[in-house]
Parts: sequence; C-alpha cells; structure tokens
Amino acid sequence: MTKAAKLQRRGVLLGAVASPFVIGSARAADSLKAYSIWPENYARPMLEAFEKATGIHVNFIRFSSGEALARLIAEKGNPQVDVLFGGPVETFTAGEDQGIFDAYTPPSAADLPGRFKSTKGMWTAIADDPLVFMTNTAFLKDHGLKPPTSWNDLLNPAYKDMLQMADARTSGTAVTRIFSILQVNNRNEDAAFGYMKKLRKNVQAYTKSGGGGTVPVGLGQAGGGIFFIVDALFTRQKGYNVEISFPKEGIGSAAECIGLVKGSKNTAAAKKLIDWATSPAMQSLLAPAKINFLPANPKVAADPNLAAILKSANIIAIDDKWAGENRKRIVDRWVAEVLNAG
Amino acid sequence: MPEPSLEIRLAGLTAVFHHERRGDVTAVKELDLDVRPGEFLTLLGASGCGKTTTLRMIAGFQQPSAGRILFGGEDVTNLPANRRDIGFVFQNYALFPHLSVFENVAYGLRVKRKSAAEIAARVAEGLLQVGLHGFGDRMISELSGGQQQRVALARAIAIKPRVLLFDEPLSNLDAQLRVQMRTEIARLQAELAITTVYVTHDQEEAMAISHRIAIMDGGRIAQIGTAEDLYQRPESRFVAGFLGSTNLIRGTVVGSEPGNTVLDVAGYRWEIATDQRLLPGQMVEAVVRPEALGFGDVGSGLAGTVESRVYLGAKAEYGVRCNDQVVHVVQANPVASRLYGIGETVYLDLPASGVQVLAVESPAP
Amino acid sequence: MPADAAPAFATPGALGPGRLIGAGGMLGLWLLLLLFIVYPLAMLLVRAFYDGGHLALGPLLSTIESPNNLRALRNSLLLALLVGVAGTVIGLVFAFTAERANLGRRAGRLIDFATLLPLISPPFTTSIAFVFSFGPRGLITYDLFGIGNIQVYGLTSTFAAETITYFPIAYLALRPMLASISSSFEEASFSLGGSRWHAFRTVTLPLIIPALANAFLLLFGCSLADFATPLILAGSDFPVLPTEAYLQITGMFDLRSGAILSLLLLVPAGLVYYVQDRFVAGRSYVTVTGKAATASRRDAVSPMARIVLVLACILMTTVILYFYALLFYASIVMAFGANSTLTLQHYRVIFTEGLPAIEDTLFIALIGMPLGGLYGIVVGYLVGRTRFTGRKAMEVISMLNYALPGTIVGIAYLLAFNDKPLALTGTATILIACYVFRYSPTGIRTTIALLQQIDRSMEEASASLGANTVTTFRRVMLPLILPAFFAGLGVVFIRSMTAISATIFLVSINWTLITVKILENMTEVALGPAAAFSVFVIVVVLVVTGLLNLALKRLTAPSLRVSRIGT
Repeated sequence: MTKAAKLQRRGVLLGAVASPFVIGSARAADSLKAYSIWPENYARPMLEAFEKATGIHVNFIRFSSGEALARLIAEKGNPQVDVLFGGPVETFTAGEDQGIFDAYTPPSAADLPGRFKSTKGMWTAIADDPLVFMTNTAFLKDHGLKPPTSWNDLLNPAYKDMLQMADARTSGTAVTRIFSILQVNNRNEDAAFGYMKKLRKNVQAYTKSGGGGTVPVGLGQAGGGIFFIVDALFTRQKGYNVEISFPKEGIGSAAECIGLVKGSKNTAAAKKLIDWATSPAMQSLLAPAKINFLPANPKVAADPNLAAILKSANIIAIDDKWAGENRKRIVDRWVAEVLNAG
Repeated sequence: MPEPSLEIRLAGLTAVFHHERRGDVTAVKELDLDVRPGEFLTLLGASGCGKTTTLRMIAGFQQPSAGRILFGGEDVTNLPANRRDIGFVFQNYALFPHLSVFENVAYGLRVKRKSAAEIAARVAEGLLQVGLHGFGDRMISELSGGQQQRVALARAIAIKPRVLLFDEPLSNLDAQLRVQMRTEIARLQAELAITTVYVTHDQEEAMAISHRIAIMDGGRIAQIGTAEDLYQRPESRFVAGFLGSTNLIRGTVVGSEPGNTVLDVAGYRWEIATDQRLLPGQMVEAVVRPEALGFGDVGSGLAGTVESRVYLGAKAEYGVRCNDQVVHVVQANPVASRLYGIGETVYLDLPASGVQVLAVESPAP
Repeated sequence: MPADAAPAFATPGALGPGRLIGAGGMLGLWLLLLLFIVYPLAMLLVRAFYDGGHLALGPLLSTIESPNNLRALRNSLLLALLVGVAGTVIGLVFAFTAERANLGRRAGRLIDFATLLPLISPPFTTSIAFVFSFGPRGLITYDLFGIGNIQVYGLTSTFAAETITYFPIAYLALRPMLASISSSFEEASFSLGGSRWHAFRTVTLPLIIPALANAFLLLFGCSLADFATPLILAGSDFPVLPTEAYLQITGMFDLRSGAILSLLLLVPAGLVYYVQDRFVAGRSYVTVTGKAATASRRDAVSPMARIVLVLACILMTTVILYFYALLFYASIVMAFGANSTLTLQHYRVIFTEGLPAIEDTLFIALIGMPLGGLYGIVVGYLVGRTRFTGRKAMEVISMLNYALPGTIVGIAYLLAFNDKPLALTGTATILIACYVFRYSPTGIRTTIALLQQIDRSMEEASASLGANTVTTFRRVMLPLILPAFFAGLGVVFIRSMTAISATIFLVSINWTLITVKILENMTEVALGPAAAFSVFVIVVVLVVTGLLNLALKRLTAPSLRVSRIGT
C-alpha cells in the first residue's frame, strides 16, 4: 500500500463516515500480492529484502497451507493474489490438480533436482524442510529416556498421551509425516497404518498446524512430537529446552515451494519474485536471518549449525508424484482408521 | 370551553378477532350507540363482554370488522388514532418512563407543535386541574400510583381532546383513592364538558359518575339508561342480576290491564301497578330489590319460612323460603322493629309499584 | 377480550408519506436480508447438493451416515447442552447476586469487570490459558497441585472453557430482567410464609423463564458454532461439528462435506429456536407498563445464601482474572515458560508489523457498529412489535447467520461474493456486511425482549396524543429501546474486534483483521505477539464500550438504567 493510500485511509478512519463501498475500491492495487504459507517472521524479512532489491512491494497475508489452498480454489473466478509463497510441496501438487497455477519455470529451476520442481512448471522449490523428532529434555530425564532414534521408540508406553503432532486434514507437516511412515514401511500401507494406530495411543492431540505442538512440548505439557526442523529449531531459539533427533529408519522432507497464481494481474512482477526466491539471492539470506530451512538451490550452502544437526539424519525421498496421486485416499484412511480410532 | 361538545355515534360496530385456538371470536356484535354531546357514558360489564374492544375501536387502536364510528357527524372509522383528537386514559396509565411529569403532559402538545409558552401554560393548567401543581420536574418513577393516574389524566386533557376515553383507569388504585379519584374525574368532566366514554366493571363506580350507563353482555348492549333506570327498571334478568342484588319472584299472570297487573305467586295474589301489557297465564318474573321488601302482619302477604339471617347492625339480611323459591329481604334499621328467627314463619309485604315484570325466557322448572 | 387476540398496532388509515417511507424501507431491508443472508446460503446449498447441475445426494447421505460425523454431532449437542445449562445457571447466579444480594459497590464493580472480559476477548484466550494451566505440566494441575498424569484435552476442559467464555452472555441477558421484576413479588411470597428460597423458586424463577430460555438459546447457539475453543482444547478424542467442518474445508479442501457437516448443525439450532419461541411466546410477562415500579429490594436472600452466592461469584471472578493475568504476563515476557525476561518487544511488533491489521480492524468495527446497531433495532422492532406478511420469515432469516457456524457463513460469503456481479471479496464491505448480519441478532433479540416488556399501551398513548407511527417510534419507543440499540452497537463493535470464524475466509490482502493475526500467531505458537494483540483488543473494547455506556447513561432515564453494554 502506498503512503498516500495509508494517509487517506487514516483520514477516513478518523472521520469514519464514508461509505465502505467507496473505500473498498479506492484502495489502489499497485503492488504485488501474495499468500504466504511461511509464517510472518520468516516471510517478512525475505519479502522486505525483495523490495529492497527490486523496488517491488509485496503485500502479503499468511495462511496455513490448507486455508491458503482453500482460498485460492474458492477465488479461482476472481483471483486476489499473484503468488503463493512458501508451503510444503504437497499443497502445491494439490493446487496443481485444482488448476490454480499458471506455468512458469524460473531460470534457477535448471539447477534443481527433480523433486524440487513441477514437471509442468507449476511450482518450484525455494527451500527444503526435513521432519525431526522433538522431545522435551526434562520429560526425557524424568522418564529415564534417551531422545528417540527409531520410529518404534515413540511407541514406548512412557509417551502414553504425551505426544503432539499435526492433523493430516490441515497440515502439510502431517501429510509429510504419514508419507514418511509409508516410505519406511516400503509403501506397505497395512504395516504403516498398523504402526500409526499403535502410535495413536500415545498421541495427546493432533494440532491444526504443523508447529502447533512445539510450545506444548517446550513447556513440558507434551513429551514430544514430530515437526519440521524449522519449527523445532525455532522452539529451541526461543529458549525452550528440547532435544532434536532422527529415526534411523529414515524420515521425509518437504520441499517448500513458490507458484504463480492463475489469473495474476501482475505477472511480470510475480515472475520476478519467483526468479528471486528460487535463486541464491534469497536463499543465501535464510541462514543470516536464523531461518532454519535448508536452501533448495544447490548453489547455496546450508548453515553450518543446521548441517551439523542434519549430519546424523537419514533423510529419505518421498515420491511426490505418487504422494500427490494417493494423498486424498491416504488422508481419508488416516482420518477413518487412525484419528477416529481414539 | 372553546369548542362545543360533540356526539359520538357507533353504528353496527362489529369486531371479530382471529384466535389461534378458538378460531374467529366476535367480541362486539353490530353495536349501535349514541353518546350525547358532553355526556359521561359508561360501558359496564364483566370481563370479555366487549366493552374494552368497543372503547379501543372508538379510540382507533383497533379497526372494526364492520360498522361505522362518527364523531359529531364526521366519519372517523378509517381515521388513525393519532388524528381522531382523543384523550385516552389507560388502565396501567401508560406514562412514558423516560420523560418527566412535565414532558409527559406536554407530549401531545409538542407533537402538535405548540409554542413553548403555550405548552408551559397548558401543562401548568393541566397539572393544576389534577392537583399536581409543582410536580413537573419529577420523574414518573418518583410518583405514587394515584399521582401517576393524575398525570395520565392531565396528559389526556392537556391536548383539549374532542372526546375523553377511560379504560378502567381506577382498577389499580386502592379503594379509598378510587372513590376520591372517581369524584375528581366526574368533576373534571363536568367542568370540561367533553363527551366521555368510560369503561369499568365496577357497578358502583359506574353508578357514581355516569350520566348514562350501557351494560354490555356478549358483545352487545344489554340495556342503556341512567343508573336509576337500570336499577329500577331492568329489562332483562341479566341487567337485573348485574346491578345490585335482586329477587326474581316467579309467578303467573292472572290478569293484566293498563296500569294494573295481578300475579299469582305460590297462591298469593299480588297486584302491581305497571303499564306493561301481559297475557293471562303467562309465566313471569318480577324484579324486586331486597330492600323493597318488608315483613307484614301475620296472614297478610306472601308466606314463607326464614332460612338464613345475617345481622349487620344497620340492617339485617334474610333468606326466606316461599314454596320453591328463596326470596332475599333486607330489613333496614332492625332495631326499630324486631329480628326474625330462623325457622320462623313470616309474611312478606310485596311492593305494589316500582316492580319490573319480565317474561320468563324459558319455562320455569 | 382475549389479550392475545388483539390485533397489532394496526393504525387504520390511508396511505400517508410515512407509509410510503415505511414500504420503501421494508423493501430495502428485505433486499439486504436476501442479499447478505439468503443468497450466500443458497449458493452454499447449491455447492453442497448440486454436482454439475444435478442434485447429488450421495455426499449428503455418506456424510450423514458416517459414524464419525454422527459422533461429532452428538458431541456438539452434548457440549452445547452442557454449556447452555451451566452458563445459564452461572449467569443466573451472577445476575441474582448482583441484583438481589446487596453486594458491595466495589465487589459489584469487580464482578462486572470480570464478566465483561470473556465477552470482549479475542478467541483462543481462554483456551490458551487452559492449556497453560492444566495438563501434565500445567501451572495449576502440576505446579500447584503436583498432578502430572492429567490431560487437558477433551470434553471437560472444552466445556469449562466455553462456559467461562459464554456465561457472561447469560448474565447480561438475565440481569436486566431480574432488575425489572419488582421485588414486591418476592416480598409477597415471603409474606405468605414462604422461605426466601421458596419465593425465588415459585415467583422469581417463573417470571424470568422467558429470559432463561433466551439465555439458554444464546449460549447453546454460541457453543454449537464455536470452533476456536474445541480447535485448541477438544483434542482428537472429542470431535465436534464446527471444528470438523472447518477442518474439512480448510484442510481437505472439501467444501461440500464441510458445508453438509455444518448444515447438520442447523437442525439442533433450529429446533432449540423453535422450542424457545413456542415456550416463551405462550407467556407474556409485561413488567414495564408505564406504571413505574419501586426500586427492587436488595436483600431478598438470607445471610447464609448471600455468603454462598457471593463466594461463588468471587471464585468464578478469580478464575477469570487469573486467566487474563496469565494472558497479560505472556504479552510482556520474552517467551512464556522459557524466558521470563520482561519486554515490550511484542507490543513493538504489533504496532509496526501489525499496524495495518489494527487500522483495518478499527475501521471496519467503527463503520459496522452504527449500521449493526440500527439494523438490530429496526428488525427487532418490526419483528417484535408489528404485524406484516413475512414477519416470521424475517425473524428466522435475521437469525440465520448468527445460528450458523461462522465457518459456513464465511465460506458462503466467499462463494457468493467472489464473482461478478457482486464481487465483494477483497473489500471492506464484505467484512462489514458479515459482521453486521452475523452479530446484530443480539441487538434484535435484546430489542424484542425489551419490547416484550413495554406494554402496547405506550404506543397507543402516544397515538392518542396525536403522534403518528414515526413520531411514536422516535419519541417513545426509541428512547425505551435505546439500551438495545447500544447493546447492538456494543456487540457489533466487540465482535468486529474479536470474531474470527467467519471472517477468516473474508480477510484479504487489502483488509486483514487482528483476530486473524492472533490465530496465525497462535498456530505458529508466537504467543507473545498473540497475547499482546489480545491485550490491545481488550483495552480498545473496554474504552469503546465504556464510552458507549457513558452515552447510554446520559441518554436514558434512570428508571431504565438496567442494561449494560456487553454482548
């Protein structure tokens, strides 16, 4: 929003007499608009840096992945934004199926491995985000436990009703988690669901957002959970005593992506943002800003601390194509057999 | 008075309500009524008789299903209440709780956009008339029930209405205050000479203040007349029974000629001076007030046996069985004569005049 | 003449200019109702039941037959019933204590303040305080009582949190009614040899039954539609419909089954409304008759009962104040539970990064407030006092957006106003309309309740004095229902500042809201800014409602000063 528009709005606010119809249309649409799935404290420094670099102001609003997608689908006839910024790849593949994106392949895409870009150019990765086990240090000590290093460690009765993790209906974190479990079970669905049903007994709450359980774990209200590394490390940065560990069997990772919204009214600027976000220009800013995503662009090195933590990790690949095709069925099955089993 | 009083005429007035459970209910049936200019007319009746509905139709609060309402010849049937120029006093006073006494009385004047000076003068006059001089600044909640009723009265008369309408205005007051207020209402009405319709179920109140009373029953006027007319010459059992206590002495007409009728009551021959024309052999009931009966000498009069007696000092009340009927007798000043005991045989003096004879509507059992 | 058969304030007469204005206004009102309530819901129903132009009942049947959804429906009903009953009882205790137990002035103020807080709070505040206070490491369960093996998620805490959040609505609905009942009734019973309890049971209670039914309905509706509290507290073992519907839509992108799920909620909501309507409509307790009652006696309870009542209120008040102290604390420390360094950093954040949301929210609230207040009393007056064809329909329609879960209203608006000719998404209008039509029913119901107490003879008196309908409304009815107008203003403002469930779908790049920021911060567990935003909202609402109360006091007669701005 321009300074002038802001001043005008303040004037109107003071007067509070003008018709809202007039105000609605008087507000100029002179900048790039985006829905961000990244939280504000990650997205804001990035998009401000973009404005500094290009002079294009990005007006954005943050939604969780499910909400952002639902809005984009609902707004198909009258798109309100130009770009969907951040968010796990599964949201983008679902959006691709719904036809909410226009194809655009940024120059950096050429440098990216296959799992970081859509075959049709509908989305491109800007970062990578592995899942981790995060546990409360005091809880582990009280129960004489070590940080879990196997999926089966989480089935320990000591965790009964003490785990928090995300609900697959709203959270990309949860979907990535479920596909990780399928993957370590070699896509044997019955085995994977058998495990999840056993895990269900230890789950205290399935949270709406991927990071929803981090503070309860930090506070000790929950003993542990499965989160994206970016949320886990942020919890630690805030001062909570938590342990981060990885299952030896392997755990998945979600590409964080960007996509051009179909019907964008400012495609030139939108493409500039996509170019910038997929390039080292943005991704080299992540580490200095203490944002613990792994850069997607191979030309940017990961933060040494992050790399150290991930050294012990066995990150496995999830077939995004297979995941996208089976997502609805798997999530429905999870809702029916796991969530509602309690 | 600046304007002459006007006449209210109701012609064929009918009110039908739709009731959820009972279907269509006719509250007022083809009612005709003339209220004379300056007259104080009371609609008297039990609850549900249609008196309030009639009053509300006169006021314009309710639209009649049929019939016409005329104020001094002007048809106001379709005129909304606010253009009928009426003063209405409500049972619950309906004072505006958010306004002061002054503003309540001034309300109608402000609506009529009178000047501030005129409003002040007329409110002061109105409050003076009801004895509330100096109460203008009070809030309604600070007044007693009687005072609130006075404000309601002042508010109604301040606009100098063409007609005054009262809907049981005294029913919320205690007995003493009721007597006092009804005197004041009657005085004010006489002073202002505004044609007035007054609704009450209290017969004493009606008799005390009205020029004429219309007794209503089942949506119709049973009888209209002065208090005296109605009390002494009721035209129906209903009216006879409604006003005061009364005896309906059953008998058979033996002979009837102008000025004189002879009845046979349980073998007793009773001559009555009346102009009513009756047929010999007809079963009738003679309306006799208990205080019009007396105890006669042994052997003269209608014979009976004392069944009950209530001694009240100034009077004594008896129930006397005469064959198949019980006749009520009030003995005034019993100290002067003697009290009769229960079981004693007495002879009742039946009055020879002032007796209304009614044809029996259905054969006596 | 049977009183209930009396025709309404039917002013006989020809067409006057007032009539024409009335007819025009009525037409306009119907247009607004159709546009902002009926049309979006119709669009939603079409989306829910039609598939490519055909009626498709498959999804409907499978949604209804799903045992999980039936469980959610049962849970919702159970929760709403519990919250409705408990909230009404607590509200009654507070109202009765305030009106009859001769509270000290200071204690009365404290109780007023404490009951106001939940009403003016953004969503999640109680829930988050619950999560901190109870559970394995909760401040109360663990730090105070040393209980470590207790879960915070489930029916109990959802029920408790919703009751605490919503009981003040019952309190506000009941207190004016109690105040308006002359204690002479109670004295009458007392003098007849009954105990005070007997007087309460046989006199006061029956007299306030309509108000109790009204309070219960309000709470039942609030609980049925609340998704914020269960989202945080219900856990996974106690699914309720609004949360399920919300998750269906936002998570599974399944508008259709989300719509059907929430439409299931309409059944109980409609049923309760019907029962309440029948129940209350049969009884007329006219208490404001223009014959002013004397002030109510303030010691209608025995000393023992008084102590119990006051203690109960103080206890509840303490609980509420504790929750808000916790919230305030969270707003001024670096990280709750981890870093207790005092800081103003969170406030700095909300006044820099959060400033657009603050400006937008205030703008929308200030525009919506007068519109909502006016709409509330106009519809309330029309429905409660006049007779016209379609009156019942208007009453039901005007309640719809309020009774429906916000999620559904939001999605319906999104579907209806996204495309031409009514492309309102992205404007402030859609947010304002949503608030006005969703939150004015409180004003409407308050107006109707007040009108039920104002005898018809008030209007007739005015008419008999020469005033036409418009003058009567302006000079008599308006001052008498002014408390309802201010209540309407207050509620729309408060909800514009605090509501989220519907508008979360309607915020846009151009217009965003504080509550959405709070939700975002909550879900990202950025508790500091969330708490700071919440504190800011509470302060603003306190100031504005304080001003409204002041205005109400100046504008109304002392005898009518029984109402307070709240919900």
